Amino acid sequence: MIVLGIDTSGYINAVGVYDGESVLADNRFPARTDTLEQIVDNIDVTLKQAGLELKDVEGLGVGLGPGSWTGIKVGVTVGKMLAFSAGKPVAGIPTLDALAYTAQNESLPVFAVIGAGVKDMVYAARYHFKANEPVREGDYFAGDIRELVKIIKEPVVLAGPNAGHYHGILNREAGLKNVMIITEIEPSGAAVACLAYLRLTRGQSDDPLSLVPMYLKESTAKVFVNKYAGKP
Amino acid sequence: MLVLGIETSCDETSAAVVADGKDILSNTIAAQMDLLKKYGGVVPEVAARRHAELIGYVIKEALDTAGKTLEDINAVAVTSRQGLIGCLMVGVAAAKSISYARHLPLIGIHHIEGHIYANRLSNPSLSFPHVCLTVSGGHNMILYVQDPQHLELMGSTLDDAAGEAFDKVAKFLGLDFPGGPVIDKLSKQGNRKAFSFPRPMKNSKDYDFSFSGLKTAVINMFKDKIAANAALPLADIAASFQEAVVDTLVTKTLRAVEEKGVKTVSVTGGVSANSRLRELFQDACKKKGLEVFFPKLSLCTDNAAMIAAAGYARIMRGETSDLRLNVFPNAPLGGLNEDENR
Repeated sequence: MIVLGIDTSGYINAVGVYDGESVLADNRFPARTDTLEQIVDNIDVTLKQAGLELKDVEGLGVGLGPGSWTGIKVGVTVGKMLAFSAGKPVAGIPTLDALAYTAQNESLPVFAVIGAGVKDMVYAARYHFKANEPVREGDYFAGDIRELVKIIKEPVVLAGPNAGHYHGILNREAGLKNVMIITEIEPSGAAVACLAYLRLTRGQSDDPLSLVPMYLKESTAKVFVNKYAGKP
Repeated sequence: MLVLGIETSCDETSAAVVADGKDILSNTIAAQMDLLKKYGGVVPEVAARRHAELIGYVIKEALDTAGKTLEDINAVAVTSRQGLIGCLMVGVAAAKSISYARHLPLIGIHHIEGHIYANRLSNPSLSFPHVCLTVSGGHNMILYVQDPQHLELMGSTLDDAAGEAFDKVAKFLGLDFPGGPVIDKLSKQGNRKAFSFPRPMKNSKDYDFSFSGLKTAVINMFKDKIAANAALPLADIAASFQEAVVDTLVTKTLRAVEEKGVKTVSVTGGVSANSRLRELFQDACKKKGLEVFFPKLSLCTDNAAMIAAAGYARIMRGETSDLRLNVFPNAPLGGLNEDENR
């Protein structure tokens, strides 16, 4: 099964192709503000590079975020409408899961971390691995990077686009010594495609129309309204 | 030719299937009324998230209602210019994905151009050239429409659009959202001469508008009454405010008609649903021997059928956008040359 994977949660358009045995393409196109302008072209270029057209693709994987709100709104919309229009099955893959997959380690759990756009605020989750597949432990985290000190109790791998920077804060300011390996990685279209492949071959596809971005953070307006309405 | 239209420029997620630019096979509109009531208006990020949630369902519903599938569709038209950036992006992302997957021509449309076509969809006899007043919560302009390709912006609002003034006054008076229909209804029980509110720029020589001062005048008067513990004749306030707005809109539009020497007036956009505005235009145009056209009520507010109709006309002229189509939140009216929109 040939699977196209896309992830636009960061400042790149990650587009990759996996056929169940090997990665046919794994591109990262810089896209700080022009994800919308580039994404379909980038998909086309990546498919052609793998000698494919969209009609040859048998399934899609879409990185849901968290990350750039604009990026994931565009990427998830493109993913779901491509799947709907081309009649292909699709699997929504949390970007943190895909980062953990790329950074997987035989003996250590992986903490995948993505910056939340505000200083020192991050999205994170902790994973162990079962048959090479990341299994998330507990809820997704959204908050100040320093709070992870309370959660990281044992030696771990810290993985993500700015893992080194976040490790610096954890180490210098919070005295955390448990990070054994730092893996600086950007989201990968191929990783999303690999995880989607695993889900799709198990028959676990998503209804394309139901796919929504994973923001992990309410919009500021909603936070204010809830605050004044006395809700958490 | 079947065109799938997509419109997400503000708070309505809409998709439509239109045949040959004139027959509406479907026009699905998911309004974010629950969110608008909760927040008292449109919050861009909240609206954009709702679009991302609904867009696929709305497109599917438009196809189903029309009894068509994507295989039957010949082109995709989408609002890409003028609107809230995050909202526009969702529609354009969906449109270009469909275009790519189905090998369909894609065309980006200016939102205001869509409103001009809303009136053509309702009134095929609406001829060119004409003067068009298009007014909603987001825009307020007088255009000289020589033909659909040649639009001249004669004037627009310097601050609030009329629909925005309706919304804000309604919010202040403790009325429901959106303010337009609520004030329209309440005004029927009120005396429109009860209060003399200012008609800002009514007599200025240009074709620009300003409704911010009028809004403030209404709000200040309301505050004074509360401070004096006086009775609050809401219906009279609403009717007098509405009269000030529509009087200004009608007077300035008709002056533009006179300057251009045309015989036809087109009134479109959300505020064109206002019953008093329609009444005043009809009376005034009758006296002057002019023809005035309004869209069907269902086509006054934002909808994708008008975008599909505008898209059909452009595709027939051989225009298309490529897959790098981007959004231009503050795009001026005009051609497809995107460099001039940046």
